[in-house]
Amino acid sequence: MRRYLLAVSGLCTGLLLAAIPLAAHHSFAAEYDNNKPIKFSGKVTKVEWMNPHIYVYVDANDNGKTVNYAVEGGAPNGLYRQGWRKDTLKAGDPISIEGFLAKDGSNTVNARTWVLPDGKKVFAGNNEDGGPAAKP
Amino acid sequence: MKGSILLFCVGAIAFVPTLVFAQTGSSNHPDLNGFWNNQYTPNLAQALGHEPPYTPYGLQRWKGVDTKDDPTGRCLPVGPSRAFTAPMPFQLVQGPNVMAFLYEYQTIYRLIYMDGRQHPPDIMEYPEFMGHSTGRWEGDTLVIDTVGINDRSWLDTTGHEHSAKLHLIERLQKVDENHLKWTVTYDDPVFFTEPWSITRNFTRGKPTDRIMAYSCEENNRDVEHLTGGTNKKP
Repeated sequence: MRRYLLAVSGLCTGLLLAAIPLAAHHSFAAEYDNNKPIKFSGKVTKVEWMNPHIYVYVDANDNGKTVNYAVEGGAPNGLYRQGWRKDTLKAGDPISIEGFLAKDGSNTVNARTWVLPDGKKVFAGNNEDGGPAAKP
Repeated sequence: MKGSILLFCVGAIAFVPTLVFAQTGSSNHPDLNGFWNNQYTPNLAQALGHEPPYTPYGLQRWKGVDTKDDPTGRCLPVGPSRAFTAPMPFQLVQGPNVMAFLYEYQTIYRLIYMDGRQHPPDIMEYPEFMGHSTGRWEGDTLVIDTVGINDRSWLDTTGHEHSAKLHLIERLQKVDENHLKWTVTYDDPVFFTEPWSITRNFTRGKPTDRIMAYSCEENNRDVEHLTGGTNKKP
């Protein structure tokens, strides 16, 4: 029961804080191309919960070929204050990503939404970095 | 035994005001201590309502700005303006002779000297990333004067630049227990034809909030992907 309450309380905290900005240490346009939107589903292979931004690596199927995307998220401190933890996502977890590819042609992606198979969003918040859907 | 207890009590009574004084600086001034969240302001021109009054050189620099040159993308110190306009919190520690802003962003600080000292006479020849700041109270308003800021930081995320002749005047007012009003004036004759100001609001964090380490160099994978044109300073 206690665990259930904790889980509910954690989820509520996450929802309540969803509008709090996620820190970006540079502008979106410095690295990413808003003309290169991308959407894919796959499995987490590695999580780097480190400054200045978290990176989650995701294996996804791209026309029969497995591609490992490096998916960038917010700053870990801001995510922590919103209730997210470094084991919110773990290797092997399925995840769907919507975001934008880097300008340099690499498989680096700036994620705008992270969705679990049950539809629950993680790492919610606004990437206030001047990128698409960012608040002014 | 009674004497020891009495001595302890007297000592404690004498110590408490010292503690309070050390925290607030003076009972006559507002207590600004605490964990505060910035109001994110990626583009100062939006807060101003229009572009700043550029000099021809300032306009030329603005037209050529390239976000790939963002100094913080390379983990450099953020400068005093961006420290208060980035989406990051800070801890304000208020003492009688010095006030400290401990910024989470790039784990950097500013010390505001309140003891009446002047800026160092050679600060303009040897400017620093965060400049040199002195402060004074005008009524309930903390007024901070900062000079000697090197030209290697940006004023905001969008890329408004400044020269080492930038003179910042900041005014901090406690609106209520949970809000601070920050009014900043940018005076830089190299980039702007006249001083201009914006006002932002800081919001107190939750009681459990704390400043956490932000080691930008820990895993700065962005730097290898930053691309764009060139706009190197002459």
